[in-house]
Amino acid sequence: MIYLMYVLMFGFLLTAVIGLLASWIDRKVTARVQYRVGPPLMQPLTDIIKLLGKETLVPVGASKTAFLLAPLVGLASVILVSTLLWLNNINPKESFIGDLIVVVYLLTIPSVSIIMGGFASRNPLASLGASREMKLILGYELPFLLAILVPVIKSGLSIRLGDMLTAQMQNGVFIGSWSGFLAWLVVIFCMQAKLGLVPFDVAEAETEIAGGAIIEYSGPGLAVFRLMKNMLLFTLPFFVMILFMGGLRFDGIHFLYGVLKYVGLVALITVIRNTNPRVRIDQAVRWFWGPMTMMAIAAVLLAIWGR
Amino acid sequence: MMDFIGQSYGFFRSDPLSSFIGMFVVFFSVLTVIYSIGFMRGKKGLVRYYIYILLTIAASLGVVFANHLIVLMIFWGVLGLLLYLLIGFGENERVSYTAKKTFIIIGGTDAFMLLGAAFIWYLSGTFDMDKLSIALDNKIAVYAYLCLAVGAFAKAGAMPFHSWVPDTAEDAPTPVTAFLPASLDKLLGIYFLARISLDVFQMNGAMNVFLMVVGSVTIVAAVMMALIQHDFKRLLGYHAVSQVGYMVLGIGTGNPIGIAGGLFHMLNHAIYKSCLFFSGGAVEKKAGTTDLEKLGGLVKVMPVTFMTFFVASLSISGVPPFNGFASKWMVYQGVIESGKSGGHLWIVWLIAAMLGSALTLASFMKLIHAIFLGQPSRERKITDERIQETGLTMLAPSIVLAALCIAFGIFAYSGPLKAFIFPAVQGVVFSGVWQAGLATVLILIGIVLGLVIYLLGSAAKTREAEVFMGGEILKDIPDMRISGAEFYNTVQDIGVLKFMYRLAQEKAFDIYEVGTKVTFGFNKVLRSLHNGVLSTYLSWCLLGMIVLFWILLG
Repeated sequence: MIYLMYVLMFGFLLTAVIGLLASWIDRKVTARVQYRVGPPLMQPLTDIIKLLGKETLVPVGASKTAFLLAPLVGLASVILVSTLLWLNNINPKESFIGDLIVVVYLLTIPSVSIIMGGFASRNPLASLGASREMKLILGYELPFLLAILVPVIKSGLSIRLGDMLTAQMQNGVFIGSWSGFLAWLVVIFCMQAKLGLVPFDVAEAETEIAGGAIIEYSGPGLAVFRLMKNMLLFTLPFFVMILFMGGLRFDGIHFLYGVLKYVGLVALITVIRNTNPRVRIDQAVRWFWGPMTMMAIAAVLLAIWGR
Repeated sequence: MMDFIGQSYGFFRSDPLSSFIGMFVVFFSVLTVIYSIGFMRGKKGLVRYYIYILLTIAASLGVVFANHLIVLMIFWGVLGLLLYLLIGFGENERVSYTAKKTFIIIGGTDAFMLLGAAFIWYLSGTFDMDKLSIALDNKIAVYAYLCLAVGAFAKAGAMPFHSWVPDTAEDAPTPVTAFLPASLDKLLGIYFLARISLDVFQMNGAMNVFLMVVGSVTIVAAVMMALIQHDFKRLLGYHAVSQVGYMVLGIGTGNPIGIAGGLFHMLNHAIYKSCLFFSGGAVEKKAGTTDLEKLGGLVKVMPVTFMTFFVASLSISGVPPFNGFASKWMVYQGVIESGKSGGHLWIVWLIAAMLGSALTLASFMKLIHAIFLGQPSRERKITDERIQETGLTMLAPSIVLAALCIAFGIFAYSGPLKAFIFPAVQGVVFSGVWQAGLATVLILIGIVLGLVIYLLGSAAKTREAEVFMGGEILKDIPDMRISGAEFYNTVQDIGVLKFMYRLAQEKAFDIYEVGTKVTFGFNKVLRSLHNGVLSTYLSWCLLGMIVLFWILLG
């Protein structure tokens, strides 16, 4: 029963509220960059509520179950990951549900759900977008895996998130070292791709394939996908904070630092997305398998070296 | 049952490892026979077919419970012959070539195993495996181990002895593929590898590294080949190779958690790969083709087959909470554990294994799109969208296996690990955390939450609409269809991969093709001597005589 409360309070409600707020920050900053006024604070929530009132369209010949189930699976996995991250962060001594490997695997499920939804749409543009999303996963997974090995090495080959937080509490945050910083940079780019934001929004590419994988979604299905993406806007930066920046602490001034770290990360994501053009999918894969992987390897070597 | 474990009967002996493998040999055999009733209906030579299947079961049990190396090798050789005969039931015109190739690769490596047995006799003077414990401290011992390992690799399909697996998968009848390369050969090959690595020899660091190299290369190279295939049975065949890498890697880590993970992965692999072949066979039976270009959009026609295929796909890609994840997760821990005893190579193995998992996911996304989802091909034989599943004998095995994929994932610890793996591998300590049962419950809660959001909205009442193509109508422009077979062409053209793929297309990594080329190369040299000119032959005779005289009289 206590777990039900964890899921509802932390995994779902708190994550959704922060995610929607972050989405508002993102939209507001984007608007200011483009000399617009930007939406009011409640706009992201209003959007989702509005979508709930719209009609649910299913493409002719598509499997209704597969089409409508895909967003739910994506949402459920984000809820699970954020519950796991919250509880490991609140009490690092006690391990809960999963470790680093579990989180890495669970974090690919939202992307897989978008791919499945796109495939189930029976629309060629959706197939195209979904296949790009898959190629993007192949691209960023290599440097991402390498980069997250840096915290593993630095915490003495432990894959428990709690051990990483404890190690950072005792010896300073990992981002403070050379290897940690390089790995953090790599992870920031991978995070941008995981979130599907410019310059890596090839899977949706509104101006080109009209929304790609989610082109056929309308009403509640689209609302759930939107909510999932907004929640990821909290979950992924939170994961990066736990790995490299000491996580979120609840004692006095540290809590304020934690909030600032998170807002800083969201601002960074927004800046990257507003100052870059969209890349082609082959450029994206080349970028991740080339320079990013080199940088991640350098970070791992430095970490072995002890820097 | 319990009295049976740990007993010796002449040349045979049973212990926890062999008992659990023997049990699953019988389990997969039963499923295959049930499936064959549906799939092979109306084919010729069915009596012979079932006799071969029954002989295969008997020979497999013989291998599993044999304690005497020579007895084991006799059963092993019989299995190779039966595989050759069973592949012959395929209806493809290439089938005789494939059967010959398989027989040569398996038979050739059997010869190595005999050599290995001879070395063991030379070293210890006994063939009884329970009395052997050879230290790998001299050259002969290392050769003996390598010779026996080659046999295990060829049977399981690890690189570089893998090339028969994709060919067999493409050409042999589907139940045969599901039965031998996908399940039984994996169980037996990895059983034998585990047996020699854990009991017969005392492994050392260098040999563990050798196993981990073989494992990592197999994982990545085979899955890269799978990405670009156009025939779904061949694609599944490459995965049957790739997954062996995880098992070899697990055993190569040399620590209990890794070995247990490798063995658990062997079991899981047999389950989900048989399920994939069974479901794929159902599609083949109904649609009459295995070419990805000619399928598509079958989800409404075969919903149950889609579900079983989908569950097995998620399992093989290692998506939590399915069984493939549980065993891969244990292998990863084993790899990280092996880093604690010094050296930094574990990073390479870990990245290869985890990246291999992402690549597996990618190729299964392609399969699911090209077979079940996406837009139907114009060349698809099934034209109406009614539900047309295959008969119960073909559906039931897939459903049972898909259910096992879920159950072995969620109840991994209390179920299969406790019952089968831990008795065989002592002292397993988890360094990570994965509460599969709780996580599943939380995922279900999450899905319920999503459903509540759906019901708050209008999802209960849906309306069908044509797909949106910017105003175009999809039916009028069939060229707009995306089959999925060409999804990863962009990846194929990147840098060094392009070169590797070209080499692979020329079969430069196929030990059979390379061997053939070398053999025929010798032929060419020798043939040029036989040119039919008498004076050349006479001069060779003279030369030979001079050499002989010089040696004998000099």
